[in-house]
Amino acid sequence: MLPNPFTPAFLTQLETLRLRTRKEFLGSHPGSYSSPRRGTSLEFADYRRYTPGDDLRYLDWGIYARSDRLYVKLFREEVDLFAYVFIDASASMGFPSREAKFLPASHVALALAYVVLANHDHVKLHLLQDQSRASPFYRGRRRMADCVSFATAALPGGALDLAASLNDHLQRLRRPGKAILISDFLMPAAAYQKGLNLLRSFNLDIAAIQMLSRQEVDPRFPNGSLALIDSESQREINYKWNSNARRDYQARLAHHNLELKSFCHQSGIHYSLYVNDRDLSDFIFATLPAIGLFK
Amino acid sequence: MEFLNPAALFGLLALPLLLLPYLIRRKPRRVIFSSLLLLLEAGDQATSRRWGKIHLPWILFLQLLLLALLIFALSEPVFSVRPTHIAIILDNSASMQTLEDGKTRFALAQEKTRALIDEVGITGKIDLYLTTPRLEKLGATPLASTDAAGAIAALEAYDLGEPPIDFGDALNQMAREHKYERVYLFTDHPARGQSAIARVISIGQPTANLALSGFEVLRSSLIDTRLDATLEVTNFSNQDEKIRIAVKNSGNNVIASRELLVAAGKTAATSFDGIADHPYYQAEIEARDALMLDNRRFAVAPRSRKLRILGISPRPKELASLKAIPGVQIDVIAPGEYENAERSGYGLEIFHFAAPAALPRTPALFVLPPQSSSLVDLAAPASNLSVSNWREPHVLTRYVNFSLFRPTYARPLKPQTAGENIIESSNGPLAFAVERQGVRYLTLGFDPLPYLGRENLPMSIFTLNFLDWFFASGLGSQATGEPIALGAIRPGDLITTPKGEKLSLKVGYDYFSGTFHQGIYQRSRGYERELMARNLRDTNESDLRAPAPIELRGGAASTAGTSALFSFWPYLLLASLVLLLIEWFVNPRMAGWGFSSKRLRYGRQS
Repeated sequence: MLPNPFTPAFLTQLETLRLRTRKEFLGSHPGSYSSPRRGTSLEFADYRRYTPGDDLRYLDWGIYARSDRLYVKLFREEVDLFAYVFIDASASMGFPSREAKFLPASHVALALAYVVLANHDHVKLHLLQDQSRASPFYRGRRRMADCVSFATAALPGGALDLAASLNDHLQRLRRPGKAILISDFLMPAAAYQKGLNLLRSFNLDIAAIQMLSRQEVDPRFPNGSLALIDSESQREINYKWNSNARRDYQARLAHHNLELKSFCHQSGIHYSLYVNDRDLSDFIFATLPAIGLFK
Repeated sequence: MEFLNPAALFGLLALPLLLLPYLIRRKPRRVIFSSLLLLLEAGDQATSRRWGKIHLPWILFLQLLLLALLIFALSEPVFSVRPTHIAIILDNSASMQTLEDGKTRFALAQEKTRALIDEVGITGKIDLYLTTPRLEKLGATPLASTDAAGAIAALEAYDLGEPPIDFGDALNQMAREHKYERVYLFTDHPARGQSAIARVISIGQPTANLALSGFEVLRSSLIDTRLDATLEVTNFSNQDEKIRIAVKNSGNNVIASRELLVAAGKTAATSFDGIADHPYYQAEIEARDALMLDNRRFAVAPRSRKLRILGISPRPKELASLKAIPGVQIDVIAPGEYENAERSGYGLEIFHFAAPAALPRTPALFVLPPQSSSLVDLAAPASNLSVSNWREPHVLTRYVNFSLFRPTYARPLKPQTAGENIIESSNGPLAFAVERQGVRYLTLGFDPLPYLGRENLPMSIFTLNFLDWFFASGLGSQATGEPIALGAIRPGDLITTPKGEKLSLKVGYDYFSGTFHQGIYQRSRGYERELMARNLRDTNESDLRAPAPIELRGGAASTAGTSALFSFWPYLLLASLVLLLIEWFVNPRMAGWGFSSKRLRYGRQS
């Protein structure tokens, strides 16, 4: 049973999409993504002098007619894609509730996973938590149900050290591919930069989707003294909340997001912000293609 | 400055409670947030201290001032001008003899009055009053403060119950009539309400007490030689008490004793039969409570079996028939001899078809008096009247079979004064009893004489009954304050009080009324001695648990030229209202006091 937003119409729409990679990877099976190797796809890659034994079907007779030299046409090899979807499952993703933040994040992840599965590529889901959990590689549409059960069964909790958690997962990663990191990125800049750089070092094509709840974007605490408790560290601070404090917070959040976006841009990482009250279809079919995540 | 309602000042102790809502309000609401990363950057607004800096709004101080003013106004402050003419009323009732830390309440009251007199100053005038036996001023003229101190020191508490006075009214009335600037009542009763002029200074605390509430020594019957003592003990406390009761003779030797269990708030009775004949008796309970006075009681033995009767009758033979009764001694004279006869020493005078010009001072029986008296009028004669009603139970009617009691000749009575109809016929009362100042009188509309013994048993029993009733009167004990009927006084007659004072009795006095102390009073007439017991008979004095409060009513407007008090609490109340209005304008939001301190997740409770 697929969750609510995954209606047949939505799935049909997803099937029209394909993940776009800005890197070439060595696939394991023929697929639709270009490989650095030469192969038999329709996409022309280069010419090479004819050597005896080459398949005469690939001789470029036009060049031979003009230059009296024999060249054979080389084509790109098209292979399948390995996509890795990392979902932040720390306690902050459960704020204000699991349904309000973590589930929308997992829905984004599932939509992306379905796009991969529909193209007969491989997708693996990773939960970033204290104790790392990852699904096996799934391939084919019929594995969508497995993806759903893996993603929706997770409960956000605990504190997250992004770099350490990613490193834990990456140590077991054997094939390069597309990495999609879904997180609120509510951590110091140094922390997320370290994590994203770690992904880059593994030669992955990276996309970062920042997931925030409306309450995080525009907090509506009652005015006065508050004892605010960090959902991950349980640290407690007293805070005098008023309209000025709210404005200051929003300015700092905007600055934080801009810093993240800037870092992603400089690092060749797709970046997008998704706020939980936004329509999922709109985000998948308008925003993500706009940033070049889909072909 | 003084406070008419100083108890309200205790309300000032509650002022710090006003801080609580602010402290509760300061306790921040606990909210869980996803990450404090961005909030921690705002250094000036965030603090990790649990309580943060104490910051109290100025409105709190306004509210504190408002409450303080209200409490101050409730305590009714007055500026007092030193009074120059005051009245001091000392409660000298029996309960004022209760011990409080080794001193009686009356002694404590005396000490307090001394302090009060010092306040009045040497130019002041003081009137002293005592509450018992009646609210009465001591001395005709006001006393200077030095004289008043001496007079108060000489006073003592009486063994009397309080007269039924509404002090709330009495104090105000005194202030009005005598133009007192201040009236002070020192008593062991608490006060309720307040008055600008009248003040009640309460002394002592409620306490438990045990009281010997009844003690009588009686003969089993008129001609019986045996004596029985009956005692009653009342427990004015909240727990059961087991106490020892002892009966002592006039030589202070214990002649009978017993332990008695008295339930809380109840009265228990016991009796001792066949006790020996002594002039008087004293009963005691071994209780070490605060009021020792009611732990003792006195009783005199019934008079000797020699019942001396003076008969006044034109028919001496019929009266002489009473001699047939053992112990009865009767001297009969003609009615004309009565005025000049020596009447002392007789316990009863029987006027048989005769009547005196005035009521005698000794108990008297009037049998078919020839003319109307101050007690009764006589109706027309009737024969063979049947008795239609009679008082029962009563000493006069006990053991009498009234169906057989049928006087052959009778004149129904028409009572002219308050009394009891003992026997009634269809035509009117046949026996009418009156008791005046301890002296009993009985008027009969029929003739029970001659005494025929077994031959007329109903009438003989009635005769023995009235002799018993007459000779039982004045025996045992009476309440303190009840006067002693003196009868005929001869020069040299004395009365000795329980304190040993010997007072000469003056000719012309009918009663001795100074029976303010409990004990045995002895009347000496030549070589004759007559003992009378007086005991405290007011259980309200013994019940020290919760004395009735004195309700003071305000507005005791003294007619003195200047009031001793200037009351300014209305101005304080006005100031409070002004502050309240300011507070209301400044801080109209009174809601929101007292937050839940539950831990909240933003947007929903955790």
